[in-house]
Amino acid sequence: MAQGGGDRSRGGAQAGLGVTLSPTLLLDVVIGGFTTGGIYALVALGLNLQYGLMRVLNVAHGEFLMLGAYVTFSLHTGWGVNPLLTLLITGPTAFAVGLALHRLLYAPLLAGEAAESLESRSLLLSFGLMFVLQNAALLIWSADLKGYSYLAIPLRWLGTVFPANRVLAAAIALALGVAFYVYLRYSLTGKAVRALMQEPEGAQLVGIQTSRIHGLCFGAGLAMSAVTGSLVSMLFELTPFMGLPYTVTALVVVILGGLGNMVGCLMAGLLLGLVETAGVYLASSDIRLISSYAVLSLILVLKPSGLFGR
Amino acid sequence: MNVRRRQFLKAAAVSAAVVPLLRTRARAQAKPIRIGYTMSATGPYAVGAGITQAPNYTLWQDQVNAQGGLAVKGEGRRMIEFVSIDDRSEIETAVRFYEKLATDDKVDLLLPPWGSAMNFAIAPVAGKYGYPMIGPTAISGKFKELALPYFYTMLVQPAPQMQAVAAMLKDARDQGKIKKVAVAYVNDLFGIELNAATGPAFRAAGLDVVDTKSYPLGAKDLSPVLKGFKDAGADAFVGLTYPPDNILVTSQAKEVDWNPAVFFTGVGTAFPFYRDRFKGAEGVMGIAGWNPKVKYAGAKEYFDAHVRKHQKEPDRWASAFAYASLQILERCVGEAGLDRPKIKAMLDATEFQTVAGPIKFAKGENVATPGIVGQWQKNEFELVWPKAAATGAAVVPKPAWA
Repeated sequence: MAQGGGDRSRGGAQAGLGVTLSPTLLLDVVIGGFTTGGIYALVALGLNLQYGLMRVLNVAHGEFLMLGAYVTFSLHTGWGVNPLLTLLITGPTAFAVGLALHRLLYAPLLAGEAAESLESRSLLLSFGLMFVLQNAALLIWSADLKGYSYLAIPLRWLGTVFPANRVLAAAIALALGVAFYVYLRYSLTGKAVRALMQEPEGAQLVGIQTSRIHGLCFGAGLAMSAVTGSLVSMLFELTPFMGLPYTVTALVVVILGGLGNMVGCLMAGLLLGLVETAGVYLASSDIRLISSYAVLSLILVLKPSGLFGR
Repeated sequence: MNVRRRQFLKAAAVSAAVVPLLRTRARAQAKPIRIGYTMSATGPYAVGAGITQAPNYTLWQDQVNAQGGLAVKGEGRRMIEFVSIDDRSEIETAVRFYEKLATDDKVDLLLPPWGSAMNFAIAPVAGKYGYPMIGPTAISGKFKELALPYFYTMLVQPAPQMQAVAAMLKDARDQGKIKKVAVAYVNDLFGIELNAATGPAFRAAGLDVVDTKSYPLGAKDLSPVLKGFKDAGADAFVGLTYPPDNILVTSQAKEVDWNPAVFFTGVGTAFPFYRDRFKGAEGVMGIAGWNPKVKYAGAKEYFDAHVRKHQKEPDRWASAFAYASLQILERCVGEAGLDRPKIKAMLDATEFQTVAGPIKFAKGENVATPGIVGQWQKNEFELVWPKAAATGAAVVPKPAWA
């Protein structure tokens, strides 16, 4: 079957997998891993904000990514808006939608219910939301593949080559992720969010308004999902059903990094990207999913609270 | 109480008398022919189904009903009524619905769903209940092995298709235009079977295959695969791809700065969407079957009617075969009626003339159409191989990416 098995003989030691490990290959893996991981980190950060804080597992998280991607696609192909500028539209819009959804759907659900029924009810609610959003997208944009080319040019660096749009998308995703972390770390609202995550009752005792913070975080989570969607639309073809795999990946990253842990989330996203890419370069593309689930299982066995969990 | 009961009985008696009357009148107007099928309107198969198959079903229904219905031998014309659901790209859903169509709805005829895996799953159902079914979007050597007496395939199957690709590549190699071939295939029934047919065909042609790689359905990054091929010095790429990864592999080839002399991809290359997505996709090759320039009767009319009804062009591979499968069914019903064993006998024995050319089944496989390679040239998917079926000459090396 594999005649040659990846002939990368540019000097260096044998890696034992029939592949020669050269500095260029290492660079390929690291940059490739970061471009995948940056996207994972941002979409997971949004989910973590909702799940870590409110225990609301929003299965429709990926659907907001899908909507963000479609809005960017429509603005770019219809009106020639630069895809990067559309982040300024998809992000705030999703934030506003998130606030409204929280006020109308989730807040009544969260008020005065026991924790167990809350999780299952919010799960049902978000499943419903997922089907509604998927079918709405199907009606508006149809099931045909949609896509466009943006910055589809090679970026040459140190003897190897990278897709410029992927590097750009990942850089923006990572920058947004880090910026959000800094905001959580140093702003008063950020401190309130962290307080609620660490000690919900204590936070209420010192006068933090739970429902306001919940609403803001729900909105911020959706905004991150939608913004990731805008970035992803530069790279992949869109279908109304593209969201769910991202929700699953985000969930893996959240569990890897530790519930409610934002640094853990960023690191876990990058780690997952690196592991997957290394698997693809050193063995085969078929191993991508296997390697990511292997890492997840390993972490769950060795450290069930997640890599960075307490 | 008593009165009410009597009234009820009276009403019941009257309606019992009227219902058969209504039914007879309906029969006098010729009951519609009910044709059942499932189609993936949602899920991963929706893209292909919505481009290649569904538009042809509705186009044919419109055209036939506009003429007053489908001509049935000995009965005159009867309107066509479709009984169909969205199978959500779930094979179990499709199988269940086909069982229901055959046993509960007792439809007159069945049409197949979209895609190799789907057809593979429902073909035994069709056979069990004796419904002849002509699959326009099913590629798998396994159909022949299973020897399903009621299932017919329209498309050129893996071995002859890859032999055509091998012959085209051999021709380019003999002219000194290519040296090394690299193959990537999607790890799904389609890719696996085509890849299995690739080995013997390429070996027989004496081609130098420097690398073969598989990747999973739904892959998000194929640049590692392409970089490997590029580093191995391959100058001919053969991708046995499905629509989403087909688009991905094409855009990523440009992004990793690889422009091999031959760039060949699988399902989706023949879609007009692909041409529009890649600014003409000049020089890209793919599996082909048809274009509006072919000389078969009704080909151009079919193309125009499709564009008129759906505001989009048919694809250049299986669309015309989907429509042709309905032309075949129409002719069978016209000459054999709705007697399904008689339809089957006619399918086995007849050579049909369709918009996709002559079609002749041998053991359920269409053997009249050769394996064809197409190439996008100035916005048309020219058939470039074999030369006997060609509408244009192959351009190797392909021009730079647009």
